[in-house]
Amino acid sequence: MTNLSEEKTTPMIAPNTPEPAKSRTVRFRIKRTDGPGKNSRWESFDVPVEPGANVISCLQYIAANPVTIEGKKTTPVVWDSGCLEEVCGACSMVINGRVRQSCSCLIDQYAPNDGDVITLEPMTKFPVIRDLWVDRERLFYHLRKIQAWVPIDGTYSRGPGPREDPEHQQMRYKLSTCMSCGCCLEACPQYTLEEHEEKWDEAFVGAAVLSQARYFNEHETGKRLKSLRLDVLSGPGGVNDCGNAQNCVKVCPKEIPLTESIAAIGRSTTLHSITKFFTGK
Amino acid sequence: MPQSFMQRHYFLLRRLHSLTGIVPIGLFMIVHLITNSSVVWGHINTPKLLSEHGHKLDAAGVTTIHGGAATFQHEVNFIHSLPFLILMEVMVLWLPIAFHAGLGIYFATTGRSNVKNYKWGGNWRYVLQRATAWIGLAYLVYHIGTLRWGWTKLIPGQMKWEAEHAGSTMAAALQGSTENITLLGLVVIAFYLLGVTSLTFHFANGLWTAAITWGITISENAQKRWGYACAALGVFLTAAGWAAVIGFAGLDYEEARTAELVVNNQLETSTMPGPMASDLESEILGNTNIPTDYSAPAGLAPSTSENQH
Amino acid sequence: MSGSANQRIAIVGGGLAGLAAAVRIAESGMHADLFSLVPVKRSHSVCAQGGINACNDIARQQGYSEYEHFDETIYGGDYLGDQHPVLEMANWAPRIIDLLDRMGVPFNRTSEGFRDLRLFGGSLFKRTHFSGATTGQQLLYALDEQVRRYEAEGLVKKYEFWEFLWPVIDGEGENSRCVGIVAQDLRTMQIRSFRADAVVMATGGPGLVFGKSTNSVMCNGGAASRCYQAGAWYANPEMIQVHPTAIPGADKCRLMSESARGEGGRVWVPRKPGDSRKPSQIPETERWYFLEEKYPKYGNLVPRDIATREIFDVCVNQGMGVGGGNMVYLDLTHKDPEYLTTKLGGIMEIYEKFVGEDPRYTPMKIFPAVHYSMGGLWTTFTKGSYNPETPYGSHKSGTATPIDSEPGRGMAIGATNNAMTNIPGLYAFGEVNFAYHGATRLGANALLSCIFDGLFCGLGVVNYVKDEVTPEHRAENLHASIYDRVVKQEQDKVDRLVQSASQGGSDPQTNPYQIARELGDEMTAACTVVKTHDRLTKCIENLRQLRDRYNRVRLSDDAIWTNQSLSFTRATGDMIILAELIALASLERKESRGSHYRLDFPERDDANFLKTCTGEYDPATGSHRILWREVDTSLVKPRARTYGKVEAAPEKKTIATANA
Repeated sequence: MTNLSEEKTTPMIAPNTPEPAKSRTVRFRIKRTDGPGKNSRWESFDVPVEPGANVISCLQYIAANPVTIEGKKTTPVVWDSGCLEEVCGACSMVINGRVRQSCSCLIDQYAPNDGDVITLEPMTKFPVIRDLWVDRERLFYHLRKIQAWVPIDGTYSRGPGPREDPEHQQMRYKLSTCMSCGCCLEACPQYTLEEHEEKWDEAFVGAAVLSQARYFNEHETGKRLKSLRLDVLSGPGGVNDCGNAQNCVKVCPKEIPLTESIAAIGRSTTLHSITKFFTGK
Repeated sequence: MPQSFMQRHYFLLRRLHSLTGIVPIGLFMIVHLITNSSVVWGHINTPKLLSEHGHKLDAAGVTTIHGGAATFQHEVNFIHSLPFLILMEVMVLWLPIAFHAGLGIYFATTGRSNVKNYKWGGNWRYVLQRATAWIGLAYLVYHIGTLRWGWTKLIPGQMKWEAEHAGSTMAAALQGSTENITLLGLVVIAFYLLGVTSLTFHFANGLWTAAITWGITISENAQKRWGYACAALGVFLTAAGWAAVIGFAGLDYEEARTAELVVNNQLETSTMPGPMASDLESEILGNTNIPTDYSAPAGLAPSTSENQH
Repeated sequence: MSGSANQRIAIVGGGLAGLAAAVRIAESGMHADLFSLVPVKRSHSVCAQGGINACNDIARQQGYSEYEHFDETIYGGDYLGDQHPVLEMANWAPRIIDLLDRMGVPFNRTSEGFRDLRLFGGSLFKRTHFSGATTGQQLLYALDEQVRRYEAEGLVKKYEFWEFLWPVIDGEGENSRCVGIVAQDLRTMQIRSFRADAVVMATGGPGLVFGKSTNSVMCNGGAASRCYQAGAWYANPEMIQVHPTAIPGADKCRLMSESARGEGGRVWVPRKPGDSRKPSQIPETERWYFLEEKYPKYGNLVPRDIATREIFDVCVNQGMGVGGGNMVYLDLTHKDPEYLTTKLGGIMEIYEKFVGEDPRYTPMKIFPAVHYSMGGLWTTFTKGSYNPETPYGSHKSGTATPIDSEPGRGMAIGATNNAMTNIPGLYAFGEVNFAYHGATRLGANALLSCIFDGLFCGLGVVNYVKDEVTPEHRAENLHASIYDRVVKQEQDKVDRLVQSASQGGSDPQTNPYQIARELGDEMTAACTVVKTHDRLTKCIENLRQLRDRYNRVRLSDDAIWTNQSLSFTRATGDMIILAELIALASLERKESRGSHYRLDFPERDDANFLKTCTGEYDPATGSHRILWREVDTSLVKPRARTYGKVEAAPEKKTIATANA
């Protein structure tokens, strides 16, 4: 590798600043809110589209150049993101009226023409922190409530876990890919905004949490807490609150069979209450 | 924090809500719609019926009384022969419907439709399930109120429905008069069609979701297959419902009246001959070709109209 | 002496290492405060795809052993790894897999229901356990769930959306101890101190220093940089792993796991330069499987630094890249699509979603991208019971190992200084701990080192707090001024930044986003695959200019609520300081070793550089000092790291393609 010139060392890794391609801009209409309880407003930005651009890279552009189409200087838009490859669940937002992960929203596919408009709004089922960033703590609160864990006897070595049928593993794996992004909750007509934590015990847990309950109920050791989980899910906010609109399964970015999970929990609660009725346990 | 009755018995109430929709309400609706649609497909073996009651038949052994109205009357008579009818009605119908509707209203307030942004079949059904509940409830109140609880004032033409003249009074209630369909009658008919359709949709879709709620259909395929079954049932019940409504809307009052007389066996029990009878005969029987050699009854039809006025 | 109920341990970072530590600490009955920039379930560990290494029964029956796992890791890391901790880690690996299995991780299964295994880079044995192609996600979730359990019990308190700002250090020099942290709530912008008898840094890597990398947006190395600026040593900063297979996007480079090659993926380019045909139309004989030809033994599964440089050589030096560009094919189309979905579903989806082609039917076009930092905060340990007279030579599979795999051979169990930085009470776990991976990390060892640190070294932290923190030194008994001083320091920093704000963004010279972008471009150009003296010198000069510009930086948001711009800008300053150290160390290490390749010094130089490069920061002058510490090679003797390379050229077709 002796003939290597300096110019050649740079392009090997995809450069951070791409070459300007044939210029094209997309207009972003963004619903902005300065903080909880503040009025929201709309601001629009024109963003030049880089090759491979997605909503995140456009928001990054706006952060660096926070000037609206009217030429008004403003503050960078606040949003939540993480992995940018659709495994962390952070960057859910409502794009053109529909909830999805913004990292996988590629501009070339989503808005292929010059001057296309993309509308960004925060999710509506969670309290807004600022702009596009919302607080999804309720989801984690409900995961704690249904005891979403396998009750192991400590972290010291006790040999391997239970053996598992590969088909069963595939089923559990699919459920386990839930990244708590909240898309299923946003799209659910039965899941409504509830800002106050003291009301979360009564509020609907939603598809993600029901599916997680199923995930743990399906594990040999996780099963030990099954009846406790079903007690919770039989009550207010549990599986009975599902209205079967089945939007959840349609918007799930991980294509988790959420409606099957809901039905499975439905069956479990049915059997659970019959058992309880006859055994008193 | 003390729990309310609702919180403590949430699961039971939820599942009873689901269950009452199917049994008894849904089951009754199936029977009810099929029975009522008999006004269209109903067919009573009139010669047999007449001969059973000692009437002579004409040479050809045929008659042209309205088979549908007769069958319908037959069915209504059967129902009205059941013991403790009112008690059964209250326990099996009115209470369950009140329970189902009451809880349903409460539950319906917990959701917010978003079909504007998520225009998918399931989501539309979710919205329709709630919309049909409201329409269906309004319809049921009108339907039961006017026909069963005597809110006659709400019936155009104010014809009171009577069990012994089930078809004819029903037809009059729908049509708005005993002669022909009035404008108000058309409104009532339209409302009936809407109400019946709402309820059959509500029932069929409810049956589909109940299978998920109870955990009977879990896999996507199972839900799909059961969906087709429920849709078929829904279409069938809607057809039956529409047949009934349209059947009654098109039913000739006088013709039905005759059929009811026959079925109620009141032709035979009559003992009062005389001009009135013959007047009646020509008036009621009109151009029907019921055999002329039997003695026509008297004092049948007038009694209702007297009650009416 | 045993701890008091009020004693708390602060854990910074909620990825695998932080969560594992939290579980271990809570399990011992001690309280842990867990700080994370994001809800812990969204930590960067979710991005790990391929799997987690551990010796296992099948490999064992084929002659493999924990010892060989250890040996591979040391060899792969080109002898810069700390040998004792690596031995201990390899020995614990099977137990860690068992534990994860018990926690419910849906590891892929064989038809009989046993855990399935796959081949991974740097090994000839299947020793990688996996859960689809989202193993990191599955492992993180399993630990997240256990932490949730302790959170419900009240032993763990989470501070999510809190940013670590500075360690609180009591005392001077030898007597200094870390006694807590100062952190800021990124929503309310409240800055406050947290008392802690020990602080565990589990803050991951600094990928964002290079602009676009495979890392998540919060992996800016800011926390590590702050510890470094506060006096912690930073070791082997120049050891940055560039992953050979990633797909570039406008916002980041997305990883295409090594497991794609582990499951049979083949890397090739057309033999004819600039061949414009579709890959499916290029016949087998006209494809150049250069890795398989050059490395008949390991084939496509050579370690990452080697694969990256070979791809670089093929594309840049030989101009053989696909379509004349800098990319090669990663081909899985010869495998059964259903098999691929089961084993690699996660990455198949990523490629499909972000590129728009189905890799089951079209070869993937891939590029190298910055992926991992072997370097990190310097840590120490207490040696275990295995300390041979002379280091062992090359180990051959199937032969007797010099030592068994009992716990405690490499590191002393529960020793209070395991994974402790040079500042007592301040620990570094996971990617931010430099100890394990030397000059290159082997695939599927990162998840292992994170969990191992959390569990094994977590025990040492508990013992430290119980046994070595005397009551008068307990954080709860310290004077408030120790904490208030650091809070004020950080509040002042914030105030300065907020006061600089001008809406609409400042000119490019002082725009923080522009500075960060230029930083990334510069570091990617100078400090990644191939480094030269001249370029590094220029880089250091450019970084000096960036630091000057940063000193005049102007925010574009003066909000006192959820000011992301502030957090970003603050981290950018810390990234520049870390970048300076990376560039400086790259310049100073005048040899090539593992991921560090110097064109002007292409050979490994054990005589001068079999050493840990350690940076120390002088806050007074803002300058870096590089010290070279001897690497303890008392367990394994260094040997040449060739991976059985042979000569190969595109026009030759004679060499058999083994491992195909």
